[in-house]
Amino acid sequence: MTILRVLTVDDSRTILAMLHHTLSNAGFEVLQAEDGKQGLEVLKTEHVDVVITDINMPVMDGIEFIKNVRATGNHQSLPILILTTETSQDKRDQGKAAGGTGWIVKPFDPEKLISVIHRVVH
Amino acid sequence: MSDLDDFKATYFDECSELLNELEEQFAAIEAGERDADRLNAVFRAIHSVKGGAGAFGFSALVGFAHAYETLLDYVRDGRIEMSDDVVNLCIRANDIVADHVKAAQTGDALPADYGMEEKDRFDALARGERDDSDDDEGGDPIDDFDIEFVPVMVNLGGYQPAAETSSGVEADDVFDALPMQVEPGHWEIRFTPHRALYARANDPLLLFRELAVLGDMHVRAVLEEIPALVDFEPFAVYCSWEITLVSPSITEAMIREVFEFVDGDCDIAIAQLGNSIAFDIPAPAPAVAKPAPKPAKLTAESDRADLLALADDEVADLLDFSRDSDVAVVPALTAEKPSFTPEPEAPAITVQDTFDEAPSLSFAELAETIAPSPIPKRAASTAVTPLRAPAPAASSDGEESSSGGNRSVGVQSIRVDLDKVDRVVNMVGELVITQSMLTQQMDETLRARYTELVRGLEVLAQTTRGLQDSVMAIRAQPVKTVFSRLPRLVRELATKTGKKIKLETVGENTEIDKTVIEQLSDPLTHMVRNSADHGIESPETRLARGKPEIGTIRLSAEQAGGNILIIVEDDGGGINRERVLQVARDKGVVAPDVNPTDEQIDQLIFAPGFSTASEVSDISGRGVGMDVVLSNIKKIGGSVHVRSWTGKGTRMTLRLPLTLAVLDVMLVKVGVSPYVVPLSSIVETIQCSRASFERVPSGGQVLQVRGEYVQVIDLAQRFEMVSETEPENRFVVLCEAEGSAKVALIVDDIIGQQQVVIKSLEENFERVEGIAGGTILGDGNVALIVDVQSLKTTIVHKNAA
Repeated sequence: MTILRVLTVDDSRTILAMLHHTLSNAGFEVLQAEDGKQGLEVLKTEHVDVVITDINMPVMDGIEFIKNVRATGNHQSLPILILTTETSQDKRDQGKAAGGTGWIVKPFDPEKLISVIHRVVH
Repeated sequence: MSDLDDFKATYFDECSELLNELEEQFAAIEAGERDADRLNAVFRAIHSVKGGAGAFGFSALVGFAHAYETLLDYVRDGRIEMSDDVVNLCIRANDIVADHVKAAQTGDALPADYGMEEKDRFDALARGERDDSDDDEGGDPIDDFDIEFVPVMVNLGGYQPAAETSSGVEADDVFDALPMQVEPGHWEIRFTPHRALYARANDPLLLFRELAVLGDMHVRAVLEEIPALVDFEPFAVYCSWEITLVSPSITEAMIREVFEFVDGDCDIAIAQLGNSIAFDIPAPAPAVAKPAPKPAKLTAESDRADLLALADDEVADLLDFSRDSDVAVVPALTAEKPSFTPEPEAPAITVQDTFDEAPSLSFAELAETIAPSPIPKRAASTAVTPLRAPAPAASSDGEESSSGGNRSVGVQSIRVDLDKVDRVVNMVGELVITQSMLTQQMDETLRARYTELVRGLEVLAQTTRGLQDSVMAIRAQPVKTVFSRLPRLVRELATKTGKKIKLETVGENTEIDKTVIEQLSDPLTHMVRNSADHGIESPETRLARGKPEIGTIRLSAEQAGGNILIIVEDDGGGINRERVLQVARDKGVVAPDVNPTDEQIDQLIFAPGFSTASEVSDISGRGVGMDVVLSNIKKIGGSVHVRSWTGKGTRMTLRLPLTLAVLDVMLVKVGVSPYVVPLSSIVETIQCSRASFERVPSGGQVLQVRGEYVQVIDLAQRFEMVSETEPENRFVVLCEAEGSAKVALIVDDIIGQQQVVIKSLEENFERVEGIAGGTILGDGNVALIVDVQSLKTTIVHKNAA
């Protein structure tokens, strides 16, 4: 089985570290970016199976990031999960409207995280 | 757990950075800079502190940070004014956050009511706001945070498959109205995706896979909506599915949760049937359709393959494809895909991400297999592995397209002022000279004594070479930039002269120094003009001579050692030597008693003021032309040679240096002076004592080299120097001039090889026949650069005079 590559985009090192731990334990290969712009750079050169992105980030926020990813020809079918602590539906809807595939609520439960990833990626 | 400790350490590091950031931001905010960027930065910092705190269960910190964050959110979107009071409150809040972080780090407990006063003030501010605002989403009541932020302790152990635990199911407030079904259930789901579902990269297949985990599942694709091919819209969604799910323990909420992400992007109907009621939806029979196949039984292992087989067969049948046709149909791909091409490869590009796990089959792949293919048709219930057939090709296509994209993205460049580059080129040139000077200074004694120094010098030499090549590469440009101007010229010339000419170009990506390129444009234009005007004959003449009506001018560039050869060839009439000689004699270029060889006659076209065109044409026959070409080319250290075949054509070869900055030379001694001969033109060196000279009747000398007679030029004589070396101790430097004609130069001594920076004589003094330029040697002496080509050709004139 191919190892799936996950791009994690978050400005918090703590969250990146925890995602990395959880995902690599579950057998994923993890790529990291600290904001949307970096995320786009990674996507230019790296193959990625699924993206997990924060919404609130400096330089380029998650909404812009998702819009940009979807605007790129070969990333229209790339699953993007929104990682957010927003308890309101607000950000989630914005992310969804921008082209987000699904969402993960922080703080995340590792099992839930993995099962959600499997819901959007082969 | 140590992992958790690691994360905590990361978190506290991050917190201390964030708190510093807060301090900086608020210093600016206090100073009156209350722009959106700063507020956003503050908001993000608190948000990050809260996010990490939630993960570790620092509930007091989460609580306070959440209240603070909400306040900031209100300030950020302008609902609360950023007054001085609010700023002060925030600065106080920052301290409280810092104290909470510290408490969490050390494990010390803060008083239970710590920060409560400030939190109350946040609440009051927010409530004050809430009075005149509606129940906007962003305005969470701050009091609720305790409920929302029940910390989830992170299980950092290995991942356990979600299938075993239904604990992942959240009590979704939308659906919890339905009573839990504990008795054995038989569920019927009708699922109709919209385009938006695909646009957001959701995939029905994955949803089915997740559903299959819940119980025993049957899926039937509803394909009746798929229109006839003529009415088919590539991006419309026609396919929907009917699913039965049988499990004693599932609830509607569990099913709904599977469809959580696609809520709003699809129509979904869920109904529970009694155990005894069989799921049977009558399929409307389309005119062309065969009876709808029975629903395939899907298990977790075989669902994908079966589903695909089902769709494959059904759609193919419904659309009544001719099996020979190579039309592919893509029922529903991503809605935003910009274009549709009916090749089978096309879908692969849009869905490349789904292809990487080979055994999986996405909906797009499913669509792809609808295209009739030579793969034998499979029975709906048996197909498992053969379905992978299209995947490898598709996958490689996808990779190609993505790597292609990368390539274009990867091209990065900066614009640099040419002067700056030239300064570097010059300095590198000097560096090369210095380096070769140093090497030169190392005599045998020094070499033996300072081996380390010698090694260092060798490395220096190598590095300098590399540096020089790299710098030269910066200046290099493809000759294409010059070649590309010529087709138009040829077209215009053809029209003016009424000739039929085609231009062929070869090797246009050959790179040459930018300065050479710039200097090349005029000579090359002249040469091509000359070929079109004088070389290529009129169509009638050509036909009469049994040649193709259309004349060809062939332009080629290639690298040959340290040189670039640019060749302009035509298949015209060749140089009319009789006429050339006639004109040359008339103009006194050649004395009446001299009988130059054919080759020498050919070279006469480069003589100043020479033109043979019977009528002065407005294209190239003004007598200025080829001599200008020659002087231009010489200026850039190049040479021109012409070779002609009567009735067959003419070939003009430009030999150009790769770079103008540095020249590889052999340092020789003529009389007492050093001269340098370009290394690129030297064939070999021979001791005079071993050379076999022969006198010729005209009084000159020739050298016999391997049966070939070569013209001998005594440089001392030629440059009017006095040679004090014994004739047998002198050397012959055998050089190759253009057109492989050789010339033997007699020098007094050979000193060695080195690199020199060319200094123009014309710019600093004046043009001297037989000298291509000057250079300053490592020891500060000036040496002249021997111009082999011009030495050889001037013999004709000398003899003539």
